[in-house]
Amino acid sequence: MTTYTFHYQSSAASEEMMLDHLTTVLENHRIPEEAAGRFVLIVSEAFTNAMVHGNRSDSHKTIKLTICVNDEHLTADIIDEGHGGLEQIRNRRPPTLLSEGGRGVDLMEHYASGVAFTETADGGLHVSVRVDLKTEKTR
Amino acid sequence: MEIVLRDEGSVTVLTLRGRLDLATGSTLKQQIKKLFEKERTAVHLNLADVEFINSSGLGALVSIMKEIRLRKGRLTLSDLASYVKEIFEITQLSHIFEIFATEDEALASYQAAVLN
Repeated sequence: MTTYTFHYQSSAASEEMMLDHLTTVLENHRIPEEAAGRFVLIVSEAFTNAMVHGNRSDSHKTIKLTICVNDEHLTADIIDEGHGGLEQIRNRRPPTLLSEGGRGVDLMEHYASGVAFTETADGGLHVSVRVDLKTEKTR
Repeated sequence: MEIVLRDEGSVTVLTLRGRLDLATGSTLKQQIKKLFEKERTAVHLNLADVEFINSSGLGALVSIMKEIRLRKGRLTLSDLASYVKEIFEITQLSHIFEIFATEDEALASYQAAVLN
């Protein structure tokens, strides 16, 4: 198993930086395109959620991303420094067709082999996601 | 993300290349607002080279569609990669966007609308 840990500021530029880092890791491990695509989408949804809803785009707050790669699966842990994120996830309402937001968690749950939401000791949101490599879902 | 604009009669065609996410979705919205200043509200987005889209990118497209509808304009999309098409279907956004297989078909539909 190989583990990578990154820390990002909660700013707009961080999203592109994170996607570049994530794509590079997946390419270096020669992860199949289908699984890699799903993983990037899932992590991006959790990352954006952490940045916008968790840290409320406060550049002084960071997002910690840990990626683990092995032969069986890809996992990611995304942790923000916000408060009440778990409650927001639990109380979220389904978006209407014309909603501009609210689709991220549904997409994560659709494409992930496993996803879990927990609260850190400081009240931040910890999202754990897994994509299995042996039993790929269709992206 | 790279955005290339060109006019095809009354329709402005935007060809998008790269990722459509939170940051680039915001850039796209700003670009569309500039079109409104020129009173161009018939907009076609060619998504053939969009290599990644997430819910923030989808949200930007919904926002653009609503702004165009407010101005009695029209928004069409075309050339969606299979995974982009799948995301539109999962989120049911395929029901509210006018999606064409090709840019030519989309542009022809504007001409047909004028003739009708």
